Amino acid sequence: MTDIRQIKNTSVYPSETTSVWRITFAPLVWALHFAISYGATALVCAKGGQVGALRLGLGGVTAVALLAIIWLAWRAWRHWDIVRDRDWENDAGTNEDRHQFLGHAAFLLAIISFIGVAYVSLPPLLIQTCQ
Amino acid sequence: MYPIFTIVHRTRRSFLSLGRTALHWCKWTFRRRAWFILPALFLVSACEGRQSVLDPSGADARRLYDLALVLFVGAAVLWLLVGGLFVYVTRINPRAMSRRAAEALIIGGGVIFPVVLLGGLLIYSLPLMSAQRSAPDGMRIHVTAEQWWWRVEYELPDGSRVTSANELRLPVGQRTGLVLNAQNVIHALWIPALGGKADMIPGRETYLSFLPEKVGIFRGQCAEFCGASHALMAFEAVTMTPDAFAEWLDAQAKDALVPETPAAIRGAEVFAREGCGACHTVRGTPATGLVGPDLTHVGGRVSLGAGILGVTIDDFANWLGHTDALKPEVDMPTYDFLSQDDLIALAAYLEGLK
Repeated sequence: MTDIRQIKNTSVYPSETTSVWRITFAPLVWALHFAISYGATALVCAKGGQVGALRLGLGGVTAVALLAIIWLAWRAWRHWDIVRDRDWENDAGTNEDRHQFLGHAAFLLAIISFIGVAYVSLPPLLIQTCQ
Repeated sequence: MYPIFTIVHRTRRSFLSLGRTALHWCKWTFRRRAWFILPALFLVSACEGRQSVLDPSGADARRLYDLALVLFVGAAVLWLLVGGLFVYVTRINPRAMSRRAAEALIIGGGVIFPVVLLGGLLIYSLPLMSAQRSAPDGMRIHVTAEQWWWRVEYELPDGSRVTSANELRLPVGQRTGLVLNAQNVIHALWIPALGGKADMIPGRETYLSFLPEKVGIFRGQCAEFCGASHALMAFEAVTMTPDAFAEWLDAQAKDALVPETPAAIRGAEVFAREGCGACHTVRGTPATGLVGPDLTHVGGRVSLGAGILGVTIDDFANWLGHTDALKPEVDMPTYDFLSQDDLIALAAYLEGLK
Protein backbone atom coordinates (compact mmCIF):
# COMPACT_ATOMS: atom_id res chain seq x y z
CA MET A 1 0.00 0.00 0.00
CA THR A 2 1.28 3.41 -0.93
CA ASP A 3 1.04 5.98 1.80
CA ILE A 4 -0.79 9.00 0.46
CA ARG A 5 1.91 11.25 1.91
CA GLN A 6 4.46 9.66 -0.42
CA ILE A 7 2.64 10.75 -3.55
CA LYS A 8 4.78 13.48 -5.02
CA ASN A 9 2.54 15.58 -7.22
CA THR A 10 0.02 16.88 -4.66
CA SER A 11 0.99 20.43 -5.53
CA VAL A 12 -0.68 20.19 -8.93
CA TYR A 13 -3.98 21.00 -7.23
CA PRO A 14 -2.93 23.11 -4.27
CA SER A 15 -6.45 23.35 -2.83
CA GLU A 16 -6.55 19.56 -2.42
CA THR A 17 -5.97 19.33 1.34
CA THR A 18 -8.45 22.12 2.11
CA SER A 19 -11.17 20.74 -0.12
CA VAL A 20 -11.45 17.61 2.04
CA TRP A 21 -12.54 19.95 4.77
CA ARG A 22 -14.67 21.94 2.39
CA ILE A 23 -17.11 19.10 1.71
CA THR A 24 -18.13 19.25 5.38
CA PHE A 25 -18.99 22.97 5.31
CA ALA A 26 -22.54 22.73 3.92
CA PRO A 27 -23.63 19.97 6.37
CA LEU A 28 -21.94 22.02 9.11
CA VAL A 29 -24.12 25.03 8.24
CA TRP A 30 -27.15 22.71 8.33
CA ALA A 31 -26.10 21.36 11.75
CA LEU A 32 -25.56 24.87 13.13
CA HIS A 33 -28.94 26.04 11.80
CA PHE A 34 -30.58 22.96 13.33
CA ALA A 35 -28.95 23.49 16.74
CA ILE A 36 -29.77 27.22 16.79
CA SER A 37 -33.40 26.60 15.72
CA TYR A 38 -34.09 23.92 18.32
CA GLY A 39 -32.07 25.54 21.10
CA ALA A 40 -33.57 29.03 20.67
CA THR A 41 -37.13 27.66 20.39
CA ALA A 42 -36.74 25.53 23.52
CA LEU A 43 -35.30 28.46 25.47
CA VAL A 44 -37.82 31.07 24.36
CA CYS A 45 -40.82 28.76 24.85
CA ALA A 46 -39.64 27.54 28.29
CA LYS A 47 -38.92 31.08 29.52
CA GLY A 48 -42.09 32.55 28.00
CA GLY A 49 -40.23 34.98 25.71
CA GLN A 50 -41.32 36.83 22.57
CA VAL A 51 -42.44 34.26 20.00
CA GLY A 52 -42.68 36.92 17.27
CA ALA A 53 -39.07 37.98 17.79
CA LEU A 54 -38.00 34.33 17.84
CA ARG A 55 -39.68 33.62 14.50
CA LEU A 56 -38.16 36.72 12.97
CA GLY A 57 -34.71 35.84 14.29
CA LEU A 58 -34.96 32.26 13.03
CA GLY A 59 -36.07 33.63 9.65
CA GLY A 60 -32.87 35.70 9.53
CA VAL A 61 -30.69 32.75 10.57
CA THR A 62 -32.39 30.63 7.89
CA ALA A 63 -31.76 33.25 5.19
CA VAL A 64 -28.06 33.47 6.14
CA ALA A 65 -27.74 29.67 6.23
CA LEU A 66 -29.41 29.23 2.83
CA LEU A 67 -27.22 31.94 1.23
CA ALA A 68 -24.10 30.34 2.73
CA ILE A 69 -25.11 26.93 1.36
CA ILE A 70 -25.85 28.38 -2.09
CA TRP A 71 -22.41 29.98 -2.11
CA LEU A 72 -20.76 26.70 -1.03
CA ALA A 73 -22.75 24.83 -3.69
CA TRP A 74 -21.54 27.28 -6.34
CA ARG A 75 -17.92 26.80 -5.23
CA ALA A 76 -18.36 23.02 -5.29
CA TRP A 77 -19.98 23.16 -8.74
CA ARG A 78 -16.94 25.00 -10.11
CA HIS A 79 -14.73 22.49 -8.35
CA TRP A 80 -16.54 19.50 -9.86
CA ASP A 81 -16.10 21.10 -13.30
CA ILE A 82 -18.80 19.00 -14.94
CA VAL A 83 -19.72 21.60 -17.58
CA ARG A 84 -16.22 21.82 -19.07
CA ASP A 85 -15.13 18.19 -19.28
CA ARG A 86 -18.47 16.27 -19.03
CA ASP A 87 -16.64 13.77 -16.86
CA TRP A 88 -19.23 12.13 -14.56
CA GLU A 89 -17.06 9.37 -13.23
CA ASN A 90 -14.02 10.61 -11.38
CA ASP A 91 -12.69 7.20 -10.39
CA ALA A 92 -9.26 7.04 -12.00
CA GLY A 93 -7.36 7.84 -8.79
CA THR A 94 -5.50 10.75 -10.37
CA ASN A 95 -5.21 14.07 -8.62
CA GLU A 96 -7.59 15.66 -11.09
CA ASP A 97 -10.19 12.99 -10.47
CA ARG A 98 -9.77 13.24 -6.72
CA HIS A 99 -10.17 16.98 -6.98
CA GLN A 100 -13.32 16.77 -9.10
CA PHE A 101 -14.80 13.95 -7.04
CA LEU A 102 -14.55 16.08 -3.90
CA GLY A 103 -16.31 18.89 -5.74
CA HIS A 104 -19.04 16.48 -6.82
CA ALA A 105 -19.51 15.17 -3.27
CA ALA A 106 -19.52 18.69 -1.82
CA PHE A 107 -22.14 19.77 -4.36
CA LEU A 108 -24.47 16.87 -3.52
CA LEU A 109 -23.99 17.49 0.22
CA ALA A 110 -24.86 21.16 -0.35
CA ILE A 111 -28.12 20.13 -2.02
CA ILE A 112 -29.18 17.90 0.87
CA SER A 113 -28.11 20.57 3.36
CA PHE A 114 -30.24 23.13 1.55
CA ILE A 115 -33.28 20.81 1.76
CA GLY A 116 -32.55 20.10 5.44
CA VAL A 117 -32.36 23.80 6.34
CA ALA A 118 -35.51 24.57 4.33
CA TYR A 119 -37.50 21.79 6.09
CA VAL A 120 -36.25 22.75 9.57
CA SER A 121 -37.33 26.35 8.90
CA LEU A 122 -40.93 25.34 8.12
CA PRO A 123 -42.27 24.83 11.71
CA PRO A 124 -41.36 28.37 12.93
CA LEU A 125 -42.73 29.71 9.65
CA LEU A 126 -46.08 27.89 9.88
CA ILE A 127 -46.67 27.57 13.64
CA GLN A 128 -47.35 30.88 15.35
CA THR A 129 -47.22 29.86 19.01
CA CYS A 130 -45.23 27.66 21.37
CA GLN A 131 -48.26 25.37 21.73
CA MET B 1 -22.18 -15.36 6.16
CA TYR B 2 -23.79 -15.31 2.75
CA PRO B 3 -21.73 -13.96 -0.09
CA ILE B 4 -23.30 -10.69 -1.21
CA PHE B 5 -24.07 -12.18 -4.62
CA THR B 6 -26.34 -14.83 -3.07
CA ILE B 7 -28.22 -12.19 -1.12
CA VAL B 8 -28.75 -10.03 -4.19
CA HIS B 9 -29.80 -13.05 -6.20
CA ARG B 10 -32.27 -14.22 -3.57
CA THR B 11 -33.72 -10.76 -3.13
CA ARG B 12 -34.22 -10.48 -6.85
CA ARG B 13 -35.87 -13.89 -6.97
CA SER B 14 -38.25 -13.05 -4.13
CA PHE B 15 -39.19 -9.80 -5.87
CA LEU B 16 -39.93 -11.74 -9.05
CA SER B 17 -42.16 -14.20 -7.21
CA LEU B 18 -43.98 -11.20 -5.69
CA GLY B 19 -44.59 -9.90 -9.18
CA ARG B 20 -45.95 -13.28 -10.27
CA THR B 21 -48.33 -13.30 -7.30
CA ALA B 22 -49.58 -9.86 -8.25
CA LEU B 23 -50.22 -10.96 -11.84
CA HIS B 24 -51.99 -14.08 -10.61
CA TRP B 25 -54.28 -11.91 -8.47
CA CYS B 26 -55.13 -9.74 -11.47
CA LYS B 27 -56.11 -12.82 -13.47
CA TRP B 28 -58.63 -13.94 -10.88
CA THR B 29 -62.23 -13.58 -11.87
CA PHE B 30 -64.36 -11.08 -10.03
CA ARG B 31 -66.56 -13.87 -8.70
CA ARG B 32 -63.63 -15.40 -6.86
CA ARG B 33 -62.37 -12.06 -5.60
CA ALA B 34 -65.83 -11.18 -4.29
CA TRP B 35 -65.34 -13.73 -1.52
CA PHE B 36 -62.54 -11.51 -0.22
CA ILE B 37 -64.09 -8.13 -0.95
CA LEU B 38 -67.52 -8.70 0.60
CA PRO B 39 -66.23 -9.51 4.11
CA ALA B 40 -64.00 -6.43 3.82
CA LEU B 41 -67.14 -4.32 3.30
CA PHE B 42 -68.51 -5.63 6.60
CA LEU B 43 -65.26 -4.53 8.30
CA VAL B 44 -65.79 -1.03 6.90
CA SER B 45 -69.08 -0.78 8.79
CA ALA B 46 -67.02 -1.20 12.00
CA CYS B 47 -65.51 2.24 11.33
CA GLU B 48 -68.61 3.95 12.69
CA GLY B 49 -69.06 4.49 16.38
CA ARG B 50 -68.48 6.76 19.33
CA GLN B 51 -64.82 5.90 19.76
CA SER B 52 -63.71 6.05 16.16
CA VAL B 53 -61.29 8.40 14.41
CA LEU B 54 -63.07 7.39 11.19
CA ASP B 55 -66.37 8.85 12.39
CA PRO B 56 -65.38 12.43 13.35
CA SER B 57 -67.84 14.55 15.34
CA GLY B 58 -65.58 17.50 16.13
CA ALA B 59 -63.75 20.08 14.00
CA ASP B 60 -60.33 18.82 15.14
CA ALA B 61 -61.15 15.16 14.55
CA ARG B 62 -62.40 16.11 11.09
CA ARG B 63 -59.08 17.80 10.26
CA LEU B 64 -57.18 14.74 11.44
CA TYR B 65 -59.50 12.49 9.45
CA ASP B 66 -58.85 14.54 6.29
CA LEU B 67 -55.10 14.36 6.96
CA ALA B 68 -55.29 10.58 7.38
CA LEU B 69 -57.34 10.26 4.19
CA VAL B 70 -54.90 12.39 2.17
CA LEU B 71 -51.94 10.40 3.49
CA PHE B 72 -53.60 7.04 2.95
CA VAL B 73 -54.80 7.76 -0.58
CA GLY B 74 -51.44 9.34 -1.40
CA ALA B 75 -49.59 6.31 -0.07
CA ALA B 76 -51.86 3.99 -2.07
CA VAL B 77 -51.23 5.96 -5.29
CA LEU B 78 -47.47 5.91 -4.63
CA TRP B 79 -47.57 2.19 -3.94
CA LEU B 80 -49.41 1.56 -7.20
CA LEU B 81 -46.95 3.76 -9.12
CA VAL B 82 -43.88 2.03 -7.69
CA GLY B 83 -45.50 -1.38 -8.10
CA GLY B 84 -46.46 -0.54 -11.68
CA LEU B 85 -42.95 0.64 -12.43
CA PHE B 86 -41.64 -2.58 -10.96
CA VAL B 87 -43.89 -4.72 -13.13
CA TYR B 88 -42.85 -2.59 -16.11
CA VAL B 89 -39.11 -3.07 -15.67
CA THR B 90 -39.29 -6.76 -14.74
CA ARG B 91 -42.12 -8.02 -16.97
CA ILE B 92 -43.15 -5.63 -19.71
CA ASN B 93 -39.83 -4.09 -20.68
CA PRO B 94 -36.97 -5.93 -18.93
CA ARG B 95 -34.23 -4.51 -21.21
CA ALA B 96 -31.48 -2.21 -20.00
CA MET B 97 -32.49 1.46 -19.83
CA SER B 98 -30.47 4.23 -21.41
CA ARG B 99 -28.24 6.07 -19.00
CA ARG B 100 -30.21 9.26 -19.61
CA ALA B 101 -33.56 7.61 -18.75
CA ALA B 102 -32.13 5.91 -15.68
CA GLU B 103 -30.66 9.15 -14.38
CA ALA B 104 -33.88 11.02 -15.06
CA LEU B 105 -35.72 8.34 -13.08
CA ILE B 106 -33.29 8.41 -10.15
CA ILE B 107 -32.94 12.19 -9.91
CA GLY B 108 -36.57 12.91 -10.78
CA GLY B 109 -38.25 10.06 -8.88
CA GLY B 110 -35.67 9.66 -6.13
CA VAL B 111 -34.76 13.26 -5.31
CA ILE B 112 -37.00 15.96 -6.79
CA PHE B 113 -40.36 14.19 -6.43
CA PRO B 114 -39.96 13.19 -2.74
CA VAL B 115 -38.55 16.62 -1.81
CA VAL B 116 -41.50 18.43 -3.39
CA LEU B 117 -44.05 15.91 -2.05
CA LEU B 118 -42.69 15.90 1.53
CA GLY B 119 -42.36 19.69 1.43
CA GLY B 120 -46.01 19.98 0.37
CA LEU B 121 -47.11 17.56 3.10
CA LEU B 122 -45.13 19.51 5.72
CA ILE B 123 -46.74 22.79 4.65
CA TYR B 124 -50.20 21.14 4.75
CA SER B 125 -49.82 19.24 8.03
CA LEU B 126 -47.69 21.48 10.27
CA PRO B 127 -50.45 24.05 10.91
CA LEU B 128 -52.72 21.15 11.99
CA MET B 129 -50.45 20.53 15.00
CA SER B 130 -50.99 23.92 16.58
CA ALA B 131 -54.66 23.94 15.56
CA GLN B 132 -55.21 21.03 17.96
CA ARG B 133 -54.22 23.42 20.75
CA SER B 134 -56.06 26.56 19.59
CA ALA B 135 -57.04 29.01 22.31
CA PRO B 136 -60.59 28.39 23.62
CA ASP B 137 -63.45 30.79 22.96
CA GLY B 138 -65.54 29.05 25.62
CA MET B 139 -64.55 27.78 29.04
CA ARG B 140 -61.43 26.03 30.31
CA ILE B 141 -61.61 22.64 31.97
CA HIS B 142 -58.79 21.31 34.16
CA VAL B 143 -58.33 17.55 33.87
CA THR B 144 -55.92 15.70 36.16
CA ALA B 145 -55.20 12.04 35.46
CA GLU B 146 -55.00 9.74 38.48
CA GLN B 147 -54.47 5.99 38.75
CA TRP B 148 -56.99 5.14 37.19
CA TRP B 149 -59.54 7.89 36.94
CA TRP B 150 -59.94 11.51 35.84
CA ARG B 151 -60.32 14.54 38.13
CA VAL B 152 -62.33 17.12 36.16
CA GLU B 153 -62.71 20.76 37.20
CA TYR B 154 -64.78 23.28 35.22
CA GLU B 155 -63.37 26.80 35.53
CA LEU B 156 -66.13 29.38 35.90
CA PRO B 157 -65.70 32.99 34.65
CA ASP B 158 -65.02 34.17 38.24
CA GLY B 159 -62.13 31.71 38.53
CA SER B 160 -63.88 29.30 40.91
CA ARG B 161 -64.08 25.64 39.92
CA VAL B 162 -66.85 23.05 39.81
CA THR B 163 -65.43 19.61 40.52
CA SER B 164 -66.57 16.40 38.89
CA ALA B 165 -64.89 13.18 37.77
CA ASN B 166 -64.65 10.59 35.03
CA GLU B 167 -66.84 12.47 32.61
CA LEU B 168 -66.30 15.43 30.33
CA ARG B 169 -69.21 17.64 29.31
CA LEU B 170 -68.64 19.97 26.38
CA PRO B 171 -70.91 22.55 24.72
CA VAL B 172 -71.40 22.07 20.96
CA GLY B 173 -70.20 24.89 18.68
CA GLN B 174 -67.75 26.36 21.21
CA ARG B 175 -64.05 25.71 21.48
CA THR B 176 -63.37 24.42 24.99
CA GLY B 177 -59.80 24.37 26.30
CA LEU B 178 -58.45 21.51 28.37
CA VAL B 179 -55.61 22.15 30.82
CA LEU B 180 -54.07 18.75 31.45
CA ASN B 181 -51.97 17.45 34.30
CA ALA B 182 -51.22 14.12 35.98
CA GLN B 183 -50.88 13.08 39.59
CA ASN B 184 -48.34 10.27 39.61
CA VAL B 185 -47.39 8.76 36.25
CA ILE B 186 -47.74 9.82 32.62
CA HIS B 187 -51.20 9.38 31.11
CA ALA B 188 -52.72 10.65 27.86
CA LEU B 189 -56.16 11.97 27.03
CA TRP B 190 -57.80 10.91 23.80
CA ILE B 191 -61.37 11.25 22.52
CA PRO B 192 -60.91 9.85 18.99
CA ALA B 193 -64.25 11.13 17.68
CA LEU B 194 -63.64 14.70 18.89
CA GLY B 195 -60.00 15.54 18.33
CA GLY B 196 -56.32 15.03 18.98
CA LYS B 197 -54.45 13.30 21.75
CA ALA B 198 -52.23 14.87 24.41
CA ASP B 199 -49.86 13.49 27.03
CA MET B 200 -50.59 14.26 30.66
CA ILE B 201 -47.32 14.64 32.53
CA PRO B 202 -46.86 14.99 36.32
CA GLY B 203 -45.70 18.50 37.18
CA ARG B 204 -46.22 19.90 33.71
CA GLU B 205 -49.31 21.48 32.13
CA THR B 206 -50.23 20.47 28.61
CA TYR B 207 -53.12 21.78 26.53
CA LEU B 208 -55.71 20.46 24.12
CA SER B 209 -58.91 21.95 22.82
CA PHE B 210 -62.09 20.60 21.29
CA LEU B 211 -64.76 22.08 19.07
CA PRO B 212 -67.59 19.48 19.08
CA GLU B 213 -70.00 19.62 16.15
CA LYS B 214 -72.66 17.12 17.18
CA VAL B 215 -74.67 16.40 20.31
CA GLY B 216 -73.85 12.92 21.53
CA ILE B 217 -71.97 10.70 23.96
CA PHE B 218 -68.46 9.78 22.87
CA ARG B 219 -65.90 7.61 24.52
CA GLY B 220 -62.49 8.71 25.65
CA GLN B 221 -59.61 6.58 26.77
CA CYS B 222 -56.27 6.92 28.52
CA ALA B 223 -53.83 6.47 25.65
CA GLU B 224 -50.54 6.04 27.51
CA PHE B 225 -49.82 2.93 29.56
CA CYS B 226 -50.19 3.99 33.20
CA GLY B 227 -50.28 0.78 35.25
CA ALA B 228 -52.33 -2.35 35.92
CA SER B 229 -55.74 -0.86 35.12
CA HIS B 230 -54.67 1.37 32.23
CA ALA B 231 -57.09 -0.34 29.86
CA LEU B 232 -59.89 0.32 32.38
CA MET B 233 -59.22 4.05 32.50
CA ALA B 234 -61.83 5.41 30.13
CA PHE B 235 -64.48 8.12 30.35
CA GLU B 236 -67.54 9.44 28.60
CA ALA B 237 -67.48 12.77 26.75
CA VAL B 238 -70.99 14.19 26.61
CA THR B 239 -71.52 16.99 24.08
CA MET B 240 -74.57 19.19 24.73
CA THR B 241 -76.25 22.27 23.30
CA PRO B 242 -74.84 25.42 25.00
CA ASP B 243 -78.15 25.96 26.86
CA ALA B 244 -78.32 22.40 28.16
CA PHE B 245 -74.65 22.63 29.14
CA ALA B 246 -75.19 25.86 31.12
CA GLU B 247 -78.16 24.28 32.90
CA TRP B 248 -76.16 21.15 33.67
CA LEU B 249 -73.21 23.17 35.02
CA ASP B 250 -75.53 25.15 37.31
CA ALA B 251 -76.86 21.89 38.73
CA GLN B 252 -73.33 20.50 39.14
CA ALA B 253 -72.29 23.55 41.16
CA LYS B 254 -75.03 22.85 43.71
CA ASP B 255 -74.61 20.66 46.80
CA ALA B 256 -75.64 17.02 46.79
CA LEU B 257 -79.30 16.04 46.98
CA VAL B 258 -80.48 14.99 50.44
CA PRO B 259 -81.45 11.28 50.49
CA GLU B 260 -85.21 10.72 50.75
CA THR B 261 -86.02 7.00 50.43
CA PRO B 262 -85.45 4.80 53.53
CA ALA B 263 -82.81 2.76 51.66
CA ALA B 264 -80.92 5.88 50.60
CA ILE B 265 -81.07 7.36 54.14
CA ARG B 266 -79.63 4.10 55.51
CA GLY B 267 -77.02 4.20 52.71
CA ALA B 268 -75.92 7.68 53.78
CA GLU B 269 -75.40 6.31 57.31
CA VAL B 270 -73.30 3.43 55.95
CA PHE B 271 -71.30 5.95 53.87
CA ALA B 272 -70.50 7.98 57.02
CA ARG B 273 -69.90 4.91 59.23
CA GLU B 274 -67.46 3.25 56.80
CA GLY B 275 -65.42 6.44 56.47
CA CYS B 276 -65.99 6.89 52.74
CA GLY B 277 -65.72 10.65 53.30
CA ALA B 278 -62.02 10.32 54.09
CA CYS B 279 -61.37 9.84 50.38
CA HIS B 280 -64.51 11.14 48.67
CA THR B 281 -66.27 14.49 48.71
CA VAL B 282 -70.05 14.76 48.74
CA ARG B 283 -70.62 18.52 48.87
CA GLY B 284 -73.14 19.58 51.52
CA THR B 285 -72.17 16.66 53.80
CA PRO B 286 -69.21 16.14 56.16
CA ALA B 287 -67.52 14.04 53.44
CA THR B 288 -64.68 16.21 52.10
CA GLY B 289 -61.95 13.73 51.10
CA LEU B 290 -59.88 14.61 48.03
CA VAL B 291 -58.11 11.29 47.40
CA GLY B 292 -60.81 9.73 45.22
CA PRO B 293 -63.38 11.05 42.76
CA ASP B 294 -65.91 13.69 43.84
CA LEU B 295 -69.25 11.88 44.34
CA THR B 296 -71.55 14.89 44.76
CA HIS B 297 -73.49 14.07 41.60
CA VAL B 298 -72.16 10.58 40.83
CA GLY B 299 -75.64 9.15 40.17
CA GLY B 300 -76.18 11.68 37.38
CA ARG B 301 -73.18 10.57 35.37
CA VAL B 302 -73.24 8.28 32.36
CA SER B 303 -70.72 5.79 33.69
CA LEU B 304 -69.12 4.50 36.89
CA GLY B 305 -65.53 3.49 37.66
CA ALA B 306 -64.07 5.60 34.82
CA GLY B 307 -66.13 4.31 31.94
CA ILE B 308 -66.41 0.64 32.88
CA LEU B 309 -69.91 0.31 34.40
CA GLY B 310 -73.36 1.93 34.09
CA VAL B 311 -74.98 3.85 36.96
CA THR B 312 -77.85 1.60 38.09
CA ILE B 313 -78.11 0.48 41.73
CA ASP B 314 -76.85 -2.95 40.61
CA ASP B 315 -73.79 -1.33 39.03
CA PHE B 316 -72.98 0.56 42.25
CA ALA B 317 -73.42 -2.61 44.34
CA ASN B 318 -71.26 -4.56 41.89
CA TRP B 319 -68.53 -1.89 42.04
CA LEU B 320 -68.55 -1.64 45.86
CA GLY B 321 -68.51 -5.42 46.35
CA HIS B 322 -65.90 -6.27 43.67
CA THR B 323 -63.78 -3.15 43.34
CA ASP B 324 -60.41 -4.82 43.00
CA ALA B 325 -61.74 -7.48 40.63
CA LEU B 326 -63.26 -4.81 38.37
CA LYS B 327 -60.21 -2.56 38.51
CA PRO B 328 -57.04 -4.47 39.53
CA GLU B 329 -54.65 -2.71 41.94
CA VAL B 330 -56.99 0.23 42.47
CA ASP B 331 -56.43 2.15 45.73
CA MET B 332 -60.09 1.95 46.79
CA PRO B 333 -60.75 -1.01 49.14
CA THR B 334 -63.33 -3.65 48.24
CA TYR B 335 -66.40 -3.43 50.51
CA ASP B 336 -67.30 -7.12 50.27
CA PHE B 337 -67.46 -7.37 54.08
CA LEU B 338 -70.64 -5.24 54.20
CA SER B 339 -73.92 -7.07 54.71
CA GLN B 340 -75.97 -7.41 51.53
CA ASP B 341 -78.57 -4.96 52.94
CA ASP B 342 -75.91 -2.34 53.77
CA LEU B 343 -74.33 -2.78 50.33
CA ILE B 344 -77.63 -2.28 48.50
CA ALA B 345 -78.49 0.70 50.73
CA LEU B 346 -75.11 2.32 50.01
CA ALA B 347 -75.65 1.68 46.30
CA ALA B 348 -79.12 3.25 46.51
CA TYR B 349 -77.69 6.34 48.24
CA LEU B 350 -74.98 6.82 45.60
CA GLU B 351 -77.35 6.15 42.72
CA GLY B 352 -79.66 8.85 44.15
CA LEU B 353 -76.89 11.51 44.05
CA LYS B 354 -78.14 12.88 40.74
